[in-house]
Amino acid sequence: MPKGLIKFAAMAACAVFVLPASAMAQLSDIEDTEAIVADAEAVSAEEGAAVDPWEGFNRKMFGLNNAIDGVVLAPAAQLYRAVTFKKQRRGIRNFLDNLKTPVVLINDLLQGEFKRAGNTASRFVINTTVGFGGMGDPAERIGIPQHSEDFGQTLAVWGVDSGPYLILPVFGPSTLRDGFGAGTGLAMDPAIWIRTDAASLFRYSRAGVSGISIREPLIEPLEEIRANSLDEYASFRSFYLQARKREIANGRTNFDDLPDIGDFEEFDDLE
Amino acid sequence: MKFFKAFLGGVAALGIFSAAAAGDEEELFVQGILDQAEPHLAAPTEKERFDGIAELVDEYVDMRRVSRFVLGQYARKLTDEQRAAYDPLFRKYATQVYQNILSEYAGEKLAVTGSVDRSERDIIVNSKIANARPGSDFADTVVHWRVYRNRDGALAIVDAGADNVWLALEQRTTFGSVIANNGGPPAGIDALITELAEKTGD
Repeated sequence: MPKGLIKFAAMAACAVFVLPASAMAQLSDIEDTEAIVADAEAVSAEEGAAVDPWEGFNRKMFGLNNAIDGVVLAPAAQLYRAVTFKKQRRGIRNFLDNLKTPVVLINDLLQGEFKRAGNTASRFVINTTVGFGGMGDPAERIGIPQHSEDFGQTLAVWGVDSGPYLILPVFGPSTLRDGFGAGTGLAMDPAIWIRTDAASLFRYSRAGVSGISIREPLIEPLEEIRANSLDEYASFRSFYLQARKREIANGRTNFDDLPDIGDFEEFDDLE
Repeated sequence: MKFFKAFLGGVAALGIFSAAAAGDEEELFVQGILDQAEPHLAAPTEKERFDGIAELVDEYVDMRRVSRFVLGQYARKLTDEQRAAYDPLFRKYATQVYQNILSEYAGEKLAVTGSVDRSERDIIVNSKIANARPGSDFADTVVHWRVYRNRDGALAIVDAGADNVWLALEQRTTFGSVIANNGGPPAGIDALITELAEKTGD
């Protein structure tokens, strides 16, 4: 395969599920300031138009990304699962997470989350040394759990509205704010500023392995959503927006903005 | 006077006690269901797990309320015929979703960790896996149960979620999307019914 093609394949592989994965994987990893409430608040049909004015475009991108996933990323994830053990995969995930530390640290600081910034810095030192270059996560075991931050979350904390829901080609579900944040986040990555062949190779390999490593644990959850959902596109939008809200809130939960489930007139005949 | 103060103190203490007891009632309700779920989740075959979960869903989930909630703005737009077709299909569909999601917790035991009152009648009860194996994918996952108290004081489950991602909210989005994208009611509702029938194998 020509070099250009390999690069493209690696980029495509990395990218398809990077953003949604950060949300879906965070079915296990979302504060609720007033500004964020509008984000994910029950995207029912009447509100759907407000959250997703670019639905036509988004559905096309969703189809494209699914096609890329089916041809490149999903098979790669299956293969990856077949040739590695769970422990090895966990090590690789830890290693990749450790590489993201500089970006997380910058965003912790930009959000004024100094305690979390301290945690991020400590984790980097501990896991890079005692954790064999980041393959292990001894920091977690001594009570400094991992957290993620990105520039989209920082913008949200600064009060920037999410803007419309947006599916980026290759990169997947996002919002206007978070898509801009993702672009800025790339520039925060130290590796992007080193212009040597070795650095480029490192970036592409990291991107490819990240994509596959993030996709692998999602094999069953995604199959399940596909099997159950009446409208895959709308399901992903709902899951993404709900999970993203909690991520921005740094895992703090707030149940105040859930839509009421009981006190509509429709329900009078139920009582 | 002393007696009066003691009496007031007693009344106040009783008041606090009953408030605390009220807060616990929903937690006990959910824990009771989770205890019943444990042997089903430990069952060796998927069919046994699915049957057990279906039994619990049938007993404790207020399907009529959920079925209307997920229709959102369209809840009152169904004709009688549509309602007659929709209700049993929704029940079947939602049960299927619960079966698929809860069987991910096969072999685990969930325990209540606390609750948040949205209102007197709308309570979120949180739970986590008890004694999660180290490295378990769900060790840190908070599983939420939305409990609703009807006017008679009876409790029922109306939604379930994990880490702030809720099933009924997702269903409301997708149902709304199917209805709107098929021309709105009544045609859109027929389309929803067809989709539900397809997904449930009817």
